[in-house]
Amino acid sequence: MNSTNNVDFLKSLVEEKYKVNKTEVIDQYQISFEVEQVEVHRLLSELKLEGWKQLSYLSAIDWIDENEFEMVYIVFNWDRPVHVQIRTRIDRDKPVMNSIMPIFEGCKYYEREAHEMFGIKFPGNPDHEKQLVLEEWDDMPPLRKDFDPQAYSDRKFPVREYNNDFVELNGKKSKQKDRLKRAERIEQVGKRGNK
Amino acid sequence: MIEILMNIGFGLGVATFGFVLQTAMGGINRKIAARLQKRRGPKWYQEFIDIFKLLSKRATSHGWIFDFGVIMALGGIIGTAMFMPITSSIVAFEGYDNFFIFVYLIAVGMLGMAMSASGSGNPLASIGVMRALTTMLAYEVPFMVVVMTIIKLTGTSSLTGIAVAQQTGDFNWFMIALPLGFIVAVMSLMGMLGKKPFETYIAPAEIASGPMVEYGGKQLGMLFIMHEITIFIEVSLFVHLFLGGAETIIMFLIKYFIVYAVLNLVSNVLGRFKIDQVVTFFFKWPLFFAVVQAMIAIHLGWVI
Amino acid sequence: MESTKYTQPVALSKKQVDRKWWEIGDFFRRNSLWMLMYCTGCCAIELPPAMTSAYDMERLGMGPMATPRQADVLLVTGYLSLKTLRRLIYTYEQMSEPKYVVGFGSCTINGGIYHDSHAVINQLDQYIPVDSYVAGCMPNTEAVMNGFVDLIELIKNKKANGWKNYHTNNAWYKKNQIDALGEVRIKDEFHQ
Repeated sequence: MNSTNNVDFLKSLVEEKYKVNKTEVIDQYQISFEVEQVEVHRLLSELKLEGWKQLSYLSAIDWIDENEFEMVYIVFNWDRPVHVQIRTRIDRDKPVMNSIMPIFEGCKYYEREAHEMFGIKFPGNPDHEKQLVLEEWDDMPPLRKDFDPQAYSDRKFPVREYNNDFVELNGKKSKQKDRLKRAERIEQVGKRGNK
Repeated sequence: MIEILMNIGFGLGVATFGFVLQTAMGGINRKIAARLQKRRGPKWYQEFIDIFKLLSKRATSHGWIFDFGVIMALGGIIGTAMFMPITSSIVAFEGYDNFFIFVYLIAVGMLGMAMSASGSGNPLASIGVMRALTTMLAYEVPFMVVVMTIIKLTGTSSLTGIAVAQQTGDFNWFMIALPLGFIVAVMSLMGMLGKKPFETYIAPAEIASGPMVEYGGKQLGMLFIMHEITIFIEVSLFVHLFLGGAETIIMFLIKYFIVYAVLNLVSNVLGRFKIDQVVTFFFKWPLFFAVVQAMIAIHLGWVI
Repeated sequence: MESTKYTQPVALSKKQVDRKWWEIGDFFRRNSLWMLMYCTGCCAIELPPAMTSAYDMERLGMGPMATPRQADVLLVTGYLSLKTLRRLIYTYEQMSEPKYVVGFGSCTINGGIYHDSHAVINQLDQYIPVDSYVAGCMPNTEAVMNGFVDLIELIKNKKANGWKNYHTNNAWYKKNQIDALGEVRIKDEFHQ
């Protein structure tokens, strides 16, 4: 059994029974299906029966322009070496995705992380609102695209202020200004070069 | 009355001598190990600096059992060291240098340490104490069998008696007379000193130095002093039992240094056993060889 | 005529005697620094060459220790996220005094390459007192050794007073900690 057969096998398995919005064969070891939200559980349990019994990863992607989150489930089979990605789009304003804990119990911590980082709710996972990585978080979930980490960092953690007096060392005149000018010039030349 | 006070003063002198000797030996052996690894190594008096530094620090207490246990351990060990003969003639309490006195008195120090470590309430300390006692159970049995053989052969359990029996020529040194027993005793001594393959109850990377996990500052300094004196007692026991004791202090120092340095070199190239491996190891070959040696020496009378 | 060879010994005040004892203690403390390595970031990779035969830290009397109670100097090697900072404060407060802190790398000085991260603090000395910094991203092993020698010099000149500052400015440190962390208490599955 070679791996191209595996990809074909998967394609026929998934595309016959489910409404697949988009299929992407990344290489002979990776394949991605985008399906509807309601079909994820059925598809995952069927894949598990076929041997894709290891949940490698579960995460989300923030498509802020389309106002959607994309959930990604990656499952792996130890007999047929193909990583299968199951993708689905969910609404960004009310992000709710039913937990897959009945199928893969190990998703518990991934879902807690996804809740913490993106604010997605997972009904069915009793612990999904417990804090995992970020403790005592007081802002919007930090991996959303509209979160500004620089502003948060500036607000929360003081920035060290340097005074520039130290540049005159041992009575010698500082070369700091010359260096800054030179750096500026190099930058200008670089910009012109690119055009 | 004055004689007893003199004896006690003498005994304290022996304990101090043991502390200074073993601390210096420890530093020298750290240097030797460093040279083996192509390093420069610490100063030879580094261990003194470490101990005095610990005594100069502030300490946290975890209740009175914690503090009392440390003092009990140190006192018990100093009390044991007071009975230790240095040469055949330098003995603080003459006639009381019986082997069994050491076996019983050294347990006071060990129990004090176990009590104090458990009093800290840290689970790792309890694990360490449990492992230390398990290791003790493992190495004591073969060691005792060998020592009983020696006591049966010489007819005395006094350390100076055993040493004199080897010096006067009744027996060869017991490391030659009882070769199998000697090998067993070396392994047991490594277990007693907590050297590398039997270091399970310290295990810094695994259970964060075991019983010592909650100690800091003065208590740790006292435990270090206790540890040094314990090593002094155990190595001197070995010297008196197997290397024919010593007529002069110089001979004692030489023998002591050789035993401790060789054990250190061996332990520096070995890894660490798991606790079940320690127990099965001691109960397998060392115990077997100890019993075989006892049969050969006592039943058949074959002593070289 | 009074002899110039002999001067009457002046009785020292209690403060002076204490100072003498403290200097003696400082000699022992600076020659036997036991480290607690809080290996949070990539600068920790500089410690193995510093400890082994290439640079041999043990000749300065330094050595690794297993627990905070036994250690004298806390090495913070690299960036500190909020979650580790909480544990670091716990660890620091458990160490027995006198205690010293060495911060490694630019992350502990001004945030380094993580200056804009939502999870990583920028300045370590806002939260716990730092005696000596080793700059660089990451520092050379020579720089690391130099940092340790600097710390020894600081102790000799009685300038490594971070642990005293932690007592005197405790309110300021606590305020900074609470500003950044919300609450310093650890709340996770293992501490409930």
